[in-house]
Amino acid sequence: MNMNLLAVAPEVIVVVAVVALLMIDVQWRPGPVWWAIAAAMGIAGATAAVALQWVDYRGADAASFFSDMIAIDGFGAFAGMVIFPLAGLGLMAAWPLIRSQGGRGAEFVVLVLIAATGAHLMAAAANLIMLFVGLEVFSISLYVLAGFTRERVDADEAALKYFLLGAVASAIFLYGIALVYASTGTTSIGGIATYLRSTILLRPGVLMAGMAMLLVGLAFKVSAAPFHMWAPDVYQGAPGGVTGFLAAGAKVAGFAAMARVLAVALGGRIDDWAPAVAVLAAVSIVLGTLLALVQSDLKRMLAYSSVAHAGFILTALVAGANGIPDMWFYVATYAVQVLAAFTVASVVSGATQGRAPLSDYTGLASRSPWLAGMLGLLMLAMAGIPLTAGFVGKAAVFRSAIDADYLWLVIVGVVSAVAGLFFYLRVIVLMYMQAADEESGHIPVPGGARVVLVAVGVLTVLIGVVPWPLLTWLRDALPL
Amino acid sequence: MSLSAYLPIAIMALLASGFAAISLGLSRLIAPHNPTPEKLDPYECGIVPLQEPVQRFPVKFYLVAMLFVIFDVEIVFLFAWAVRFTQLGWYGIGAVGIFTLLLIETLVYVWKRGALDWNVARRSRRRPAVVEPLTEKAA
Repeated sequence: MNMNLLAVAPEVIVVVAVVALLMIDVQWRPGPVWWAIAAAMGIAGATAAVALQWVDYRGADAASFFSDMIAIDGFGAFAGMVIFPLAGLGLMAAWPLIRSQGGRGAEFVVLVLIAATGAHLMAAAANLIMLFVGLEVFSISLYVLAGFTRERVDADEAALKYFLLGAVASAIFLYGIALVYASTGTTSIGGIATYLRSTILLRPGVLMAGMAMLLVGLAFKVSAAPFHMWAPDVYQGAPGGVTGFLAAGAKVAGFAAMARVLAVALGGRIDDWAPAVAVLAAVSIVLGTLLALVQSDLKRMLAYSSVAHAGFILTALVAGANGIPDMWFYVATYAVQVLAAFTVASVVSGATQGRAPLSDYTGLASRSPWLAGMLGLLMLAMAGIPLTAGFVGKAAVFRSAIDADYLWLVIVGVVSAVAGLFFYLRVIVLMYMQAADEESGHIPVPGGARVVLVAVGVLTVLIGVVPWPLLTWLRDALPL
Repeated sequence: MSLSAYLPIAIMALLASGFAAISLGLSRLIAPHNPTPEKLDPYECGIVPLQEPVQRFPVKFYLVAMLFVIFDVEIVFLFAWAVRFTQLGWYGIGAVGIFTLLLIETLVYVWKRGALDWNVARRSRRRPAVVEPLTEKAA
């Protein structure tokens, strides 16, 4: 048994923080200050642990531990360095919502921490079973978070839809694992890769079916079309404070799992799955962009735009392992942007509210120039305007696709990105060029949301202007 | 594994479904069909039922069922460990110990939160006060 505590250190630290948080809270009721302290300690500890993993094990030093169950490599470590801070930002953005829930707020903090653990486990898994366990830990926490405000019917609806469709997706994914196991005789990700490299399957039908099911299951989780049906309803119905982490976390964890499964385990079969991924990408980009054009609710529009972004990220994956650094660049920058955009929605339309009609944002520039400026910047970044991280991300994934000879996909992507400008700019026009309602006044911005928005804004511009350090860095964020 | 190994199962399935179909079909054909309200009652004799058998019952049952599932799954895990107890050795004991500790933590939390109290009135008294109401955005 090759045990290495560093491999599970991020998870262990977070779980210890969670247990301490719950036990001390239920016994002495120290309140929200204690929740913040425990969460901060857990997240800081986990981030330090993944940073240590990054320093020690990236590149050629990568290895797997606990009977080949958990890997320490640049891939998992980088995923952790995105996920754990993301959970911290999500909690900061959700703080008004957490405080509004009374004693149940502790459970909210715990669920976000557990979800982050599951997400990192998905990225660091060296075995499909481990990956599935991480997927479930992550998903089940998010189902509960989506319906956390129990008294609102549309939040209940969102949670139920998310749960039912997510459970179906998990079942499909699990069946995919079973079929891949049936044809290769192992669930180890490295083992599957070795087997497929050394063996010529005369009748690969079972493997093909398994691959398709793995792809469908994960496409559900990252809301790639045509498996995106749940996303708009869930993002719109879930309370404002939750949605950002919901959307950002699902993208990071889902694409980490997808990259590891497709590019590593099934890397030898890239000619079989790459066309399917390319079609998924094209459908997601076109459908997401078209449907975002006609939305009248900011959160719904962001949901469809996240479908389109899932397509752009899939564009990098058609290049297989070569596309992983570009995928990471897009995923990491998009995740913080979407978190911040939903944070603005939660500040303007209410942290416990689901709906965020675009009429709330009419004339936002005069009510809160600061919020309007931040949302405007985020819209520009998501649209892919130069000097923002969104532009570099799009350029990077398109370069990956061109290198893999998918020129048609890049053309679809570029045309859709131009069409997408319309709905991103519509928000900016609404905020800056139309007068606000008479009765709507100044909007106070909670401290946590302020920190999130400033951090994301600085990152988005900084990475947009000087992307090279991150791009060079990401060459080490490769899977085992 | 060849499919022929499943042949007995297939025959069994055929026999079972055939038996059900034949006996139901025969009784449908042969038996006289003459329903009266008394015959359609759930019980032909005894007290006349006043309520529909399907009715609302307290949501507390679901909570108990959910808690039961948590601890039931614990037992499932422990069985797998018990079968390989000697091979797993101290590593197994350590892993199961951590697992059980986490479940005990769950039990303590659930208990302290009052989820095991059947009497809702007492539970609502113990529920913590709302920390601070959400301030609506400036109206």
